[in-house]
Amino acid sequence: MTNGLVLAILGAALAALLAGIGSAKGVGLVGEAAAGVVSVDPSKFSKVLILQLLPGTQGLYGLLTAILMLSRIGVIGGSAAELTAAQGWSFFIAALPIAVVGLISAIFQGKTAAAGVGITAKKPEHNGKGIIMSAMVETYAILALLVSILLIYNINI
Amino acid sequence: MSTTKYANAVAAIRAMENSLLSRNDLDQLINSATRNERENIIASKRGSGQENMTLEGVWETLRAYAPDCRELEILLYRNDFHNLKAALKSMIAGKEPGEYYIRPTNLDLDSFYSTISSKEYEALPEYLRNTAQEAYELLTRTLDGQLADSLVDTACMNAMKKAADKTGSDFMKKYAELITVCADIKTAYRCSRMKKQRSFIETAICGSSELDKDSLVRASLGGTEGLFSYLESTSYGDAAKMLADSPAKFEKWSDDVIMDLAETARMEAFGADPLAAYFIAAEAELKNLRIISVCKESGTDRETITERMRKLYV
Repeated sequence: MTNGLVLAILGAALAALLAGIGSAKGVGLVGEAAAGVVSVDPSKFSKVLILQLLPGTQGLYGLLTAILMLSRIGVIGGSAAELTAAQGWSFFIAALPIAVVGLISAIFQGKTAAAGVGITAKKPEHNGKGIIMSAMVETYAILALLVSILLIYNINI
Repeated sequence: MSTTKYANAVAAIRAMENSLLSRNDLDQLINSATRNERENIIASKRGSGQENMTLEGVWETLRAYAPDCRELEILLYRNDFHNLKAALKSMIAGKEPGEYYIRPTNLDLDSFYSTISSKEYEALPEYLRNTAQEAYELLTRTLDGQLADSLVDTACMNAMKKAADKTGSDFMKKYAELITVCADIKTAYRCSRMKKQRSFIETAICGSSELDKDSLVRASLGGTEGLFSYLESTSYGDAAKMLADSPAKFEKWSDDVIMDLAETARMEAFGADPLAAYFIAAEAELKNLRIISVCKESGTDRETITERMRKLYV
């Protein structure tokens, strides 16, 4: 196994790890708020559940990036490529957008969605507005995912 | 939104706020003819079996959701210090203080009286310790209940301000400040009406960053006119107008400025402020219900009752 391959695998691991941590924190925070509302009014469970799911997507983007990278470098499939250090660094850097933006955006999306839970608690008919506000944060995670995918597929092996 | 503390508690409180009475509900209550009708209006708002909201119940709920929230304890300091006065006076009079206690409180009322009677001040919360000893000594030395009350009240305001500063919460700092300002204005007004001596006024007035103690003492020594003209030169000119009108209007104004503060927490999604605001809202609602109940029993007209209604949170 070359150093380049180790760097590329490290990048894939970071993408899954950081975005996953962000999602776990975001989903956990909204879950706390959602549980508070449901403890008083269980009929709002389905509405607050949607808000809780939103920060979970960054973790999925991180996972997708990791799978694409591992597939591209041949780790998935059993024929790992002999990568140079430059190629390894390129894959590592390609993973950073979704790793970092995924981590931060998931936490902020969690805060926004938790505030949205408050809207659902007080004015359930305006639940959709809380979802839209939280979904706005998602934009930046999608952009980061796009950049990571473009980079991964444009590295010459 | 720098902290995400109490996300669970705040969300639960937001759901509970739906059960608080609205302006419309209050109007219905004011227009109601019988007690039964009023109970039905409250039951339809809060749900069956939830008609009798008590401040103790609200407090227990808040503590269940946020057991480690130190900021909330400041809300009960006034009750704690009142209970200290009740215990001290009961001890001097040789009575049981049970019926004079106010709940909810941060104190363990089962052992509080015996702690005070046996002068085991070390067993009291830190903010109460010195005051309990000083008030006891003052009371036994002078037998002047009013002076001892003033000492305890001033100590209460100082303890609130100190505790609020310790928590670092701007909301609680402002709360302690407003409570102090309202109490000081009320005390200054009473002292000026009763032509109290400077030494008494100095003990009774706490002072704050917005209403300087020395200026307020000087103003109250100049009679009510002197006090009003001093207040008009501060940001509490409204208070002077209300006091000049009637003490009841001033009481309403005091409650309303606290509610204005509570309203600032309505937009917060996290932190202790919305929890404190809910407690303040519940306090105001219970006060409104009490006013309606008493006024209805005494046959007060609707306009007067409406005038006396405190601002609502929802």
